[in-house]
Amino acid sequence: MTEIAGKLFTWINTRLPIANTFERHLSKHPVPSKVNFWYLFGALAAVTLIIQIVTGIWLIMPYSNTEEQAFSSIEYIMRDVDYGWVIRYMHTTGASLFFAVVYLHMFRGLLYGSYQKPKELVWIFGCTIYLAMMAEGFLGYVLPYGQMSYWGAQVIISLFGAIPYIGESLELWVRGDYYISGITVSRFFALHVVALPLVLIALVFLHLVALHEVGAGNPEGVDIEEHLDDDGVPLDSVPFFPYKVLNALVAIGVFMTVFSIIMFFFPEGGGYFIEMANFQEANPLVTPDHIAPVWYYAPFYTMLRAIPDPLGGLIVMAAAVAIFFIVPWLDRSNVASIRYKGIYSKIAITMFGVSFLTLGYLGTVGVTEVRKTMSVICTVMYFAYFLLMPIYTKYETTKEVPDRL
Amino acid sequence: MSTGNIKKVLFKPFLFILFLIPLFSVFIGAAEGGPCKDYGECDDFKYSLNDFESLQRGAATYINYCYGCHSLKYSRWGRVAKDLKIPEDIFFENLVFDKSIKPGDLMIGSMPAEESAKWFGVAPPDLTLVSRYKGDDWIYSYLRAYYEDSSKQYGVNNLVYPGTAMPNVLLALQGNQRLVCKDVPIIARNGGQKRDENGITITEEKCGFLEVENGTGKLSKEEFDSLIYDLTNFLVYVGEPAKATRERIGWYVVFYFLIFTALSSLLYREFHKDYNKH
Repeated sequence: MTEIAGKLFTWINTRLPIANTFERHLSKHPVPSKVNFWYLFGALAAVTLIIQIVTGIWLIMPYSNTEEQAFSSIEYIMRDVDYGWVIRYMHTTGASLFFAVVYLHMFRGLLYGSYQKPKELVWIFGCTIYLAMMAEGFLGYVLPYGQMSYWGAQVIISLFGAIPYIGESLELWVRGDYYISGITVSRFFALHVVALPLVLIALVFLHLVALHEVGAGNPEGVDIEEHLDDDGVPLDSVPFFPYKVLNALVAIGVFMTVFSIIMFFFPEGGGYFIEMANFQEANPLVTPDHIAPVWYYAPFYTMLRAIPDPLGGLIVMAAAVAIFFIVPWLDRSNVASIRYKGIYSKIAITMFGVSFLTLGYLGTVGVTEVRKTMSVICTVMYFAYFLLMPIYTKYETTKEVPDRL
Repeated sequence: MSTGNIKKVLFKPFLFILFLIPLFSVFIGAAEGGPCKDYGECDDFKYSLNDFESLQRGAATYINYCYGCHSLKYSRWGRVAKDLKIPEDIFFENLVFDKSIKPGDLMIGSMPAEESAKWFGVAPPDLTLVSRYKGDDWIYSYLRAYYEDSSKQYGVNNLVYPGTAMPNVLLALQGNQRLVCKDVPIIARNGGQKRDENGITITEEKCGFLEVENGTGKLSKEEFDSLIYDLTNFLVYVGEPAKATRERIGWYVVFYFLIFTALSSLLYREFHKDYNKH
């Protein structure tokens, strides 16, 4: 029996590089031996992506992408499909936690300089994934065709209208109709379930290929490639499989515990994961009292609202996302990790974190005069972190990075 | 003191102030009006989806008093009977008035939407999901906050939903509730009641209290509150029939992942011991 299995393996392996790939990317792939919890969110993002894809496939089966049935097909899933509510809540909880995990993963990148040479492409693929995720999340939110789906889409699509000259025709082209209708729902459905998942999977693949080429970083910012053993393996490394896989498994256990607590006991996430107004079917004649985006877009929505001019707001919002792409060239520091950077970098990243959280909070509540001022201040703080980076990273005193991990 | 120390000393208060910004913005958010409008804070409602008697009473009240106007169009008759543990024959005999209805049928209501829009100004909404978009606290407060107001079409108004188009269908049970003024003790700055020099509490007249006119309703206040409790409980159930199941199996899933985490961390430790030896 084992002989046959062995022969079969050899037969396949001479035609498909299984053993090589396994060694190169898993059992002999060196990763830094000492990292902290910040380095686990990438694996968790991969887990959430898989959850989204699998639950998504099962949701497509009973979902109906027509104006008349979109909303009621969701209730059909929640009531009449066996364990349909499990699949649906996994997908809604997964969406929010995907963003949560990716935000933490991105913040890790900023903390430990995971974008610095030679990791620029890893970072850029990552930023593109984030951009695709934002589009994917928005398209998906429209599909249940509740009040917030409708009016949220109304607000976001009308942003295209602010672009000079081509704005109005672009808006019409995206929407496919003069107002949001079944046509919009069915095209968003196609994009949400086919086009963007393909893009996301391709980008994740590129992100990982680029990462495995340049090697993973560590919180010390030490280059582990500088000290190799006789076989050319970095001394401060462990093989990815099984050591890092087991480490990730523990993280997945903790993550899935949190995931199931939310999914089974607080699936609406207090109105942040599924907004209450979205339990009402879309009604073009009644505007909800308070249109708020889901929490993961809230910081950018606040920036949009902070600028009185629609085109200006759109530019600021787009710039807030786009600026991530050029971070590798904004950071002029000779060290990677925040541990060895100077005081100004520490202040700057704290200000960035605070402004991002405050902007997020402000995006979920109504506008008052004080809040408007606060959102302008926080928008300025947010951009200051990036735009002043070439200056404060170049002229601050940094600490000496150790030789070994 | 070296410059490094000065920086450290200055840095900490600076971080502290920075973290006050989000707190501050939460604080300024507290002034918003609540969902229960003139009623003030909504009354707290705690559902009990395992209290089948309450759910059964709530279903009966709903079908007798509400279903004539408000459909439950995503819910099925047979499912309600099954989930609420009402034997199907009893359920269909006592609560389903249209004998052509089958267990698998949706509870689509009996009132034509166009006609009813003419009668009430708006068509009475479907209430399958009302507990999810309004919240159970809101429903529980709303149904108990009607008061006499002769300026309105049906002679009643509502503190939770001022200008509501719905008449007080449960008036015969609750009785005639009115807004009254009362003498209430003045609260001193220290939180206690203000008293004059003889130790007698000083009162002032305040208005806006709901009070039922004695002898006008079939039910006492407590009985009526419990009727509304059951009705709201039923609406929580019908908003998400799987809710009780969800909260029950949730414990098992969480427990499973805790065991998973424990075992995987033991495995992780074991492998690391082995690696560090070499």
